[in-house]
Amino acid sequence: MFESLTSKSSHSETKIDSELEQVISKAGEIILGKEQVLRLALTCLLARGHLLLEDLPGVGKTTLAHLLAKLLGLQYQRIQFTSDLLPADIIGVSIFDQNKGAFQFNPGPVFTQLVLADEINRATPKTQSALLEAMEECQVTVEGKTHPLPNPFFVLATQNPTSQICTFPLPESQLDRFFMRIRLGYPDKKAERALLAGEDRRDLLQSLKPVLTPKRLLELQKQVPQVHVSDALLDYCQDLLIFTRTSPKFHNGLSPRAGLALLRSARAWALLDGRFQVIPEDIQTVLPTTVGHRLHSTADTGVDESEGVSRYLLDSVPIP
Amino acid sequence: MNTVPHNSIPSRTLFTHILLLGVAVAPHFQHLNLWLVSFYFVLTFLRLAVANRIERLPGRFLLLLLSISGLAIVALFQTRPVGKETAIGLLVVVLGLKLMELRYRRDIYITVLIGFFIIITQFLYYQSMLLASIMMCVTLGLAIMLVEVNYIQPPKSPWPSIRKTLILVGQALPIMVVLFLLFPRLSGPLWNLGLDNQSAITGFSDTISPGSVSHLSQSHAVAFRVDFTGPIPEPKKRYWRGLVLWNTDGYNWTTGKTAYSQAETYQAKGKPVQYEVTLEPNHQKWLFSLDLPAGHVPNTRSLPDFQIQAIKPITARFQYKLLSYTDYSSSGLSNAKRQQGLNLPDNITPRMRKLVRKWQNATTSNREIVNKALQHFNQEEFIYTLSPPSLGNNPADAFLFETRRGFCEHYATSFTLLMRIAGIPARVVAGYQGGEINPHGGYLIVRQSNAHAWTEVWLEDQGWVRIDPTAAVAPERIERSIDLDNWADGAPVQFQNLDPGPLKNLIRQLGFSVDFINARWHRWVLGYTNKRQNEMLSLFGLDFLKGSALGIAMVAVTTLVVLIITIGILRSNRVYTDPVLKTYLNFCKKLAKQKLPRLSNEGPKDYAQRVIKQRPDLAEPITKITKLYIGLRYGQVNSPESRIFFNRLVSQFSP
Repeated sequence: MFESLTSKSSHSETKIDSELEQVISKAGEIILGKEQVLRLALTCLLARGHLLLEDLPGVGKTTLAHLLAKLLGLQYQRIQFTSDLLPADIIGVSIFDQNKGAFQFNPGPVFTQLVLADEINRATPKTQSALLEAMEECQVTVEGKTHPLPNPFFVLATQNPTSQICTFPLPESQLDRFFMRIRLGYPDKKAERALLAGEDRRDLLQSLKPVLTPKRLLELQKQVPQVHVSDALLDYCQDLLIFTRTSPKFHNGLSPRAGLALLRSARAWALLDGRFQVIPEDIQTVLPTTVGHRLHSTADTGVDESEGVSRYLLDSVPIP
Repeated sequence: MNTVPHNSIPSRTLFTHILLLGVAVAPHFQHLNLWLVSFYFVLTFLRLAVANRIERLPGRFLLLLLSISGLAIVALFQTRPVGKETAIGLLVVVLGLKLMELRYRRDIYITVLIGFFIIITQFLYYQSMLLASIMMCVTLGLAIMLVEVNYIQPPKSPWPSIRKTLILVGQALPIMVVLFLLFPRLSGPLWNLGLDNQSAITGFSDTISPGSVSHLSQSHAVAFRVDFTGPIPEPKKRYWRGLVLWNTDGYNWTTGKTAYSQAETYQAKGKPVQYEVTLEPNHQKWLFSLDLPAGHVPNTRSLPDFQIQAIKPITARFQYKLLSYTDYSSSGLSNAKRQQGLNLPDNITPRMRKLVRKWQNATTSNREIVNKALQHFNQEEFIYTLSPPSLGNNPADAFLFETRRGFCEHYATSFTLLMRIAGIPARVVAGYQGGEINPHGGYLIVRQSNAHAWTEVWLEDQGWVRIDPTAAVAPERIERSIDLDNWADGAPVQFQNLDPGPLKNLIRQLGFSVDFINARWHRWVLGYTNKRQNEMLSLFGLDFLKGSALGIAMVAVTTLVVLIITIGILRSNRVYTDPVLKTYLNFCKKLAKQKLPRLSNEGPKDYAQRVIKQRPDLAEPITKITKLYIGLRYGQVNSPESRIFFNRLVSQFSP
């Protein structure tokens, strides 16, 4: 009886598994040695979250965005944020059509399935917030008229480390809008060697064929909330949240939204892993990327230490 | 069939259970009426015949009839004065009736409980170690039944239950020992209140007549055991003094009133012998001591002629410590006593006087007269026998001149009379002589077959001197025990061969072992009385814990322990709410013993991977268990079957 139970669930798991595994493996051919990052990015996408890529220029942030758009068959637009970029440049403007004698809305680059908001912290807060509103609402309101954004809608913003010149760091409230923050980091020696020796990434990208369709992606996204979360796991989740709120080591505790994000990303990660139940390891894997940018240590050294803070949190809370 | 398999009693459990209950009840059958025994047998047989078809068990009406008939049997046939037997009869009836209601597993709890109770009642009758060991086994078996019925699905082999029970019992043993040592004792055994049947017990009475000692001597029963501190005296010095007999009517010898006379004294020579006697209950007051005792035994009277008399008849095993000097010379004989020692009965015949006169003519020394008398016994045709012919009204005369066959009391009494005729104060002493050394315990066993009687004569220069006329007839008596297995009517006594051959020797060795175990059982388990408990407590400096203080202390300590455990359980409440988690933690514990503990924040999958990396040989069970655990705890697997399967996997897992 137990055997039949497992075999039934494993059947549908295998299908999801193979599709998503294919995305990962294809992406791994372009961005070398970064499987974990690729998986997390895909997890974010499955969980309908927006991704913030924070790293130095030239580590492959733009390539990653391109890659995901290509593999998932999504429409793709890139917005280069600069200090003189205006909100209208993102969401679009209404222009008077002389033929029709009326104002006609010209949608901006945000009206696409995958937006790459490059160097988001170079723009002024006003412009930033225009994008972030679109992200949150999944719609854009211009001159009293609401225009829905396409579905799926996914923003991939990149950010230079705030220590670099001419940046407007995202305030905490804005950071919270991002579902995950990922750092790519330098490739390891072996991966870099392959990168240097291999073909041009741009050419490779051009030849890439989509693995999924937007429709299939939506279906997969709908499966995420159905991944089972047991009471035991909720206990663990709550223990983590409560710990951040009671421990003197943290500036502010995690918000309920952070908790929801944590659970949703864990579900997506489990699905990506081919399981229909969340286990504590899923939480542990996604926690640094999901809550790292929302947690601040009281011992603020000026250097971003979200890795250490997340590690401390996970080490301190036992699994019930 | 309206039974749920979950509830039903597996037939293995059922049959074993009924068998165990039968063993628990069996020793009671001898106290119960035949009707009652058959009643129980019939009910047991019925229950066994029904087996698992419980719908065939009697209904309410039939059950009512059975109950009434059971009660009627108790009321009509168990009609000795309402007491122990009635209560036990009732208990057996209740157990038999409960067998008729033994339908589901939970019913076993009740029958097991009644079984335990019946086991306790066994000890109202006997406290032997054999019974205790048998009942211990039955208790263990019933405990296994309890474990067995607590399984949701009992495993096929009984070993897991047995193992679990043994572990539980092992854990309970220290508590049992502590309770045994510390539980407040009532002074005097609770179960000996007027329950003993006196008929089976042999021992000396206040009077000795021809044939009384030889009758006693035919019993193998143990009279007492002696533990010596230091070396055991040689056989010829092992005279165990009991009664001193002064008065005779020509047939019976009695002790006479000696209580108010002046105490005799003696000068001790040599080192004293120190020993502890464990006297079997004999329903008499006599205590036995090595000739001659010094010091006083609590709760007894020391009589002037070195008799020790208990205040009450000895109905339970009695232990006392004594000091004795085997070499002595006594002094001081009052005129009254001298007179008593020379008193003659009316039936002294002329030929007795003639015999004595013959010796007196030859010598004037009292010592020489004694020797002449001993020579007479030795040289004439006297025979030492366990079954002397009957002697008529004047036993001394008939014995001395006609039958010449007798046991020690014949020799002792007639010798004493002859001495008195010669004007030498003399008295008869009865007690035991000899005893076997048990090589296992190094203690002396004195049996009823060692019963003996001898004479003490007063010689002016030496005081009271022990003269054993039996030794003049059969010198072996002093060195060896009588062989009770080989004796013919009227034939001379055979003595135990010193080298009896391998088979007999083996039997004797076995006998010694059994006696050793039994003696220790009596000494340390049954003999652990109020007094010994107090001794043990003062050994640990706990003298203040006596009587009710000990009871209060026990209650206080128990309450404290229960409180601490309760708080512990309440505190760890959260950890143990989920049985699946509990089992998983068990699994982790097993691995932790292999130096692979789980970190507190380590998920099951990570843990499994880490462990498998270190112990690839365990990959299969660990993967299985982890997968199932994830399914049960984090997934939607929830069937009782998979829980059982999980429990079994973990319990079978042995890294």
